[in-house]
Amino acid sequence: MFSNNRRKLLQASGALAAVGSLGVASRAQAAAPRVVVVGGGFAGATVAKYVRLWNPQIQVSLIEPNPSHVSCILSNLVMTGAAGMSTITLRYDALRTRYGVNIVADRAVGIDTVSRVVTTANGTRLPYDKLVLAPGIDFDAIPGLDSAVLPHAWQAGPQTLALKAQLDSVPAGGTFVMSIPKAPYRCPPGPYERACLLADSLLRRRRAGKVIVLDANSDVVAEPHTFHTAFQTTYAGVIDYRPSSEVLSVDWAGKKIVTNWETIAFDAANVIPPQRAGKLVAAAGLLGSDPATRWAPVNPLSYESKLVPNVHVIGDSQGTGQPKSGHMANAQAKVCADALVRYFAGEQPDPAPMTSSACYSPITATTASWLTVVFAYDPVSGLMKAVPNTLAEAPAPTKGHYEDMFGWARNLFADSFG
Amino acid sequence: MTAYGKTLPGALALALLGAASAYAAPPPGRLLAAQCAQCHGTNGQAVSGMEKLAGESEGEIYKELIEMKAKLKPDEIMHRQAAGYSDEQIRLIARYYASLGKSGSTASTGTSSRNRKSRDD
Repeated sequence: MFSNNRRKLLQASGALAAVGSLGVASRAQAAAPRVVVVGGGFAGATVAKYVRLWNPQIQVSLIEPNPSHVSCILSNLVMTGAAGMSTITLRYDALRTRYGVNIVADRAVGIDTVSRVVTTANGTRLPYDKLVLAPGIDFDAIPGLDSAVLPHAWQAGPQTLALKAQLDSVPAGGTFVMSIPKAPYRCPPGPYERACLLADSLLRRRRAGKVIVLDANSDVVAEPHTFHTAFQTTYAGVIDYRPSSEVLSVDWAGKKIVTNWETIAFDAANVIPPQRAGKLVAAAGLLGSDPATRWAPVNPLSYESKLVPNVHVIGDSQGTGQPKSGHMANAQAKVCADALVRYFAGEQPDPAPMTSSACYSPITATTASWLTVVFAYDPVSGLMKAVPNTLAEAPAPTKGHYEDMFGWARNLFADSFG
Repeated sequence: MTAYGKTLPGALALALLGAASAYAAPPPGRLLAAQCAQCHGTNGQAVSGMEKLAGESEGEIYKELIEMKAKLKPDEIMHRQAAGYSDEQIRLIARYYASLGKSGSTASTGTSSRNRKSRDD
């Protein structure tokens, strides 16, 4: 326990001051390690919580301008009207009151990775020993597309309600066109789940409309058995699936979408643009100089940037090749939190981290499917690799899975934010 | 230890002890076990709709996961999860959850109005 490690001794002297017996309390504050987290989605909330859970001597600040996080998970149920916004609105109260996370309700605008200071929009300067960036995704521009009027709804909140308004506006016999960007994007099964629920809604509303799905990928990206079955059988005659179809431009006034194949008229639409790491990741120099790099290269043992020391990237912005989802963001956040706790103890990261992915997708108003995979660190390649026999999808959507979906979501929400 | 703490050197020793343990490396199994928490709750305290793990016996958790891994039934998501972990990792996970006790060891305050075991039970 009494290591000769210099860091430990320094920290021990800081903790001594905290006891107060030496009367130099200010020294404790100077010595307490400081972690700053940017972004309060599943990744950022989980890493903030777990660092404090595992070592409350580490100061953690979470910079997030929104008063709550609105989850993409279950948000397609808000689109259909099956759930309300309150179901997917997750507050930061527990992080603050239960775990002592310092919530900074502001937007991070500047990162100085040399002086190790984050600056917020109102001018607050937050020095850090370790910085964790979890800014989620940013979107490519598509000519003619204004997501404020034609929603992507790939970040939940007002976009979710705008998408619901699109769905509600489809006239009888009308056409809803939705597009799926090239992988990797946030939530691999999510767009296909959305297509199913759009079709289900039109059927249940007796609108006799159709849903044209433009997929920039050559085939269904996730749960191919589930979604091919749903498109060809459950929603035969409603869903028109068109693979290898990339949206090139949008004509909102003329209500037309141009792809690499054709021009398609729509009554309502949902264009999900191609995605990349949140803007701050590029601004901090974590993507390097190649403009083709969309996601931050990190070491999966700690999620520390391969380019800039003491800056870690977790969740959708990281570029380890693991799927981008709330569940995986939570999984990576724990590996990162553990590595940070070890770092401040003068230890190396766990050499064999695991990340578990599991998710449920509603397929109809009463049934859901699931998708799961487990990743293990491969020391030879330095990558997280899927463990054999762990990648699987549900054999068929069921009512039982639909019920389990809510148990899964409640627990994931609570483990990340509660 | 209380008599020890009455002298300044004793207080120093206690403070050092506390500081050293607070920054010590994590207990084995904790990070692995945290991968179960997305569904089974922080420190195994599921909120509802999923099985609580905190305070289950090491033997029970170990046996259950090893059996799941051996069966790999196509309609059981947990079998695939279990298949991701080696027997040694499963032992560490089981031991960690058993060590937490029924109430868990932290401020986590899960309730269990509708907990269920997996379909295998």
